[in-house]
Amino acid sequence: MKGKEIIIVFRSTHDAIKAKNLLGKEGIPFEVIPTPKEISAECGISLKIEEPLKSQALQILKSWKVRYRDDLL
Amino acid sequence: MIYFDNAATSFPKPEEVIAAMKDYFFHVGGNTGRSAHQAALKASEIVFETREVLAKLFNISDSSRIVFTKNATEALNFAIYGFLEKGDQVITTSLEHNSVMRPLRHLEIIGKIKLFIVSANDKGIIEPKDFEKILKREKIKLVVVNHASNVTGTIAPIKEIARTAHKYGSTILIDAAQTAGVVNIDVNEDEIDMLAFTGHKSLFGPQGTGGLYIREGIELEPLIRGGTGSNSEEEIQPDFLPDKLESGTPNTIGIAGLGAGVKYVLRKGISEIHQKEAELTECFIKEAEKIERVILYGPRETTKRVAVVSFNITGLTPSEVAYILDQEFGIACRPGLHCAPAAHKTIGTFPQGTVRFSFGYFNNISEIETGIKALHKISRRCV
Ligand SMILES: Cc1ncc(COP(=O)(O)O)c(C=O)c1O
Repeated sequence: MKGKEIIIVFRSTHDAIKAKNLLGKEGIPFEVIPTPKEISAECGISLKIEEPLKSQALQILKSWKVRYRDDLL
Repeated sequence: MIYFDNAATSFPKPEEVIAAMKDYFFHVGGNTGRSAHQAALKASEIVFETREVLAKLFNISDSSRIVFTKNATEALNFAIYGFLEKGDQVITTSLEHNSVMRPLRHLEIIGKIKLFIVSANDKGIIEPKDFEKILKREKIKLVVVNHASNVTGTIAPIKEIARTAHKYGSTILIDAAQTAGVVNIDVNEDEIDMLAFTGHKSLFGPQGTGGLYIREGIELEPLIRGGTGSNSEEEIQPDFLPDKLESGTPNTIGIAGLGAGVKYVLRKGISEIHQKEAELTECFIKEAEKIERVILYGPRETTKRVAVVSFNITGLTPSEVAYILDQEFGIACRPGLHCAPAAHKTIGTFPQGTVRFSFGYFNNISEIETGIKALHKISRRCV
């Protein structure tokens, strides 16, 4: 991945996996990364996506009620 | 061996259950939610997937409302102790397993709750109107109902009971230990607020698996607090599901097996499984009725029951019968009180209990015939 990227942080591992599956199904590229310590110590895994895909990705997560940390974006 | 003890735990398990567990040990490893490496991630995916297939089975829209427990007993304890507060009033039935009765009696004895018992008739049938009589005059916080008795096999009219409970602002907890996987359960259609299930019976999972569904809006106080892999900077328990009620490393290998068991049930279909078990039960009852000195309990109609049949042979104790069946005929079944003394009081078989045959999807007609022949022989022998 190149260009600006964002990290989506989740409350529960359940939501991180749910998000990963949903984005995968919708063909949005992502990378699973350990949640960076300086961001938060929410659940252990986070998703990194390209900035231009942010609104599309969040739209999907919202419609499936995935609990991510909006305040950390 | 002929295995007629499926109500205690199902045997055998579908091959894919064993394969899924083997695969976890050989190829996955890892602790869900605790790290981001491949093995941990794979473990998290397995746990997620099992939650999703369970949600599909029970028509639960958000699988995060299901928490894993080690069995139905733990799920029922989570629900009962996590929900009730001092001064609450509760209704339950005379067909409850001790996994419901003992926690409720405990809360009653320590003076925390008041308990009302709705009695079934001697066939093990309970009437929704008996709940209404109490709900009308008392403020009831929780109604706890066994979906199918592990003694009489009777299926309770949970939808009607739930409707009645909701009409009076009460909450309903269903013990689906004997029905999950063999009777259709739809948490919306059946208006279920909390559903406790076990993994090792008709869901074909291994022992040590089970779970609790909690409708959105219900908050349970956790009985166990600890590490969840989330919110690690916090020294207080997370307040969101499933983490709130799932502290400590889960039984991931068991959950892998349970997921495969649920997929097996979904593939075969509940109605196909129920149909087959009902046929076996019908065949057994039809022949057993004809045997002199055999007394059958529960309703005659097989549509109103799961594949659990209690009986006695006059002149013999249940454990004598079970012992002969095991030693001479290689038939495994369960004698006694089946952890449900109240149910045996209801049908008049306390304290000696009954012999219980419980059939499963993997039994066949010829095994039933062998069982019938054995009962004929035992009945003729000792007069
Ligand atoms: C009606 C009923 N409730 C609860 C249980 C408890 O299940 P488990 O032993 O898996 O906790 C059982 C089975 O033993 C049962 O038959």
